[in-house]
Amino acid sequence: MRCFAALLAALMLAAAPAAALAHAYLKSSDPAAGASVPASTSRLLLTFTEEVQPQFCAVTVADAMGMQAQTAKPAPVPGHADELTVPLHFEMGGKYTVKWDALSTDGHKTHGSFSFTVSG
Amino acid sequence: MDGPAWLLLRGVCRGLHLAGYICVFGTALYCAALEPGSRAPGLRRLAWAGFALALAAGIGWFWLESAYILGTGKPGVILAALPRIIAATRFGWLTLARMGLLLAALAGAQTRRWRGAAALSGAGVLAQSGLGHGAAMGGGEGAALFLLSLLHIGAAASWLGTLPTLALGLRASPQPACLARRYSRFGVICVAVLLLSALAQYGLLIGRARLLLSTAYGATALFKAAQLAGLLGLAGRNRLCLTPALPRSRAALLGSIAGEIALGVLALLAAGVLMQLAPPAMAGMG
Repeated sequence: MRCFAALLAALMLAAAPAAALAHAYLKSSDPAAGASVPASTSRLLLTFTEEVQPQFCAVTVADAMGMQAQTAKPAPVPGHADELTVPLHFEMGGKYTVKWDALSTDGHKTHGSFSFTVSG
Repeated sequence: MDGPAWLLLRGVCRGLHLAGYICVFGTALYCAALEPGSRAPGLRRLAWAGFALALAAGIGWFWLESAYILGTGKPGVILAALPRIIAATRFGWLTLARMGLLLAALAGAQTRRWRGAAALSGAGVLAQSGLGHGAAMGGGEGAALFLLSLLHIGAAASWLGTLPTLALGLRASPQPACLARRYSRFGVICVAVLLLSALAQYGLLIGRARLLLSTAYGATALFKAAQLAGLLGLAGRNRLCLTPALPRSRAALLGSIAGEIALGVLALLAAGVLMQLAPPAMAGMG
């Protein structure tokens, strides 16, 4: 039983730094929130805190007028089940807002938004 | 389909599905390891009842989860999307695979191949962890949570799942004291693993005592802990008072086991709801 308790303690120590990372929330993005990028930027990369199910995720990238910049649905990144990539094409510069909806592999839906600026 | 009432319903269906599943597993485990060659009447009927509950509640859970994923309650839309959900989500294919394992286990139980039935249904019980946070997180941290979940579900299923079969065995056994003592030793191991893994998960997924009262996840965990406390009280009474007094105390022991089963089902319903909620340790993300 002491061995078992030690195993549990080791598991807790191993998992402790990640306790706040469960569920598919956005960990990082490229372009990042608040960033300023050139109009030639051709893709958005979203990295989540959990693995996601790409077929049931949605991403829109739109400017203040509602003009959408994404040219296809979000696609998985091979070998990275926690990432999605979205192809982009910008007609003009300005502030763009990314809205994302994700379904994690544990069956929970999450959503969020952030903005970045495209230099004209 | 995102509201609290739907969440509760999904959780209840998931909990009942798990209850039925572990009833099949527990029956097989009992006949394979705790009382091999048991001929207590009603064993196969119990396995069938567990299967029926797991199937009916599993269909309800699958339908409600699909509606939640799709964001619609329209039956036509859900029906049309089922193949996509089965093929493209871990929830879909793993749930279907688990039901396949349970069906194979039931076939084993029907022909009294209890070891095979226990192995198949045990794999299906443990595979439930594949739908938890640990499996979705990946990496070393996810692996630790996944392993804790395996221990917790495995211990809970081994303990709670064998209670109905124990009641059948005690009712029919000519030597109930011997059987009860053997089960008691097995139960102590299950309870120890269950409590320690629960404590570790509490530390990782909740973390602070005040969150037990201020969050839905904490309150549900508290409710589950209350059922567990009741279960431990009954188990202690069985071990210390009723088992030594067998066979005179047989009726009282059977009544106490029925109480344990009722509390166990409540704990599993709470577990089903918990698995639908976001642990408070992740509050503030997004």
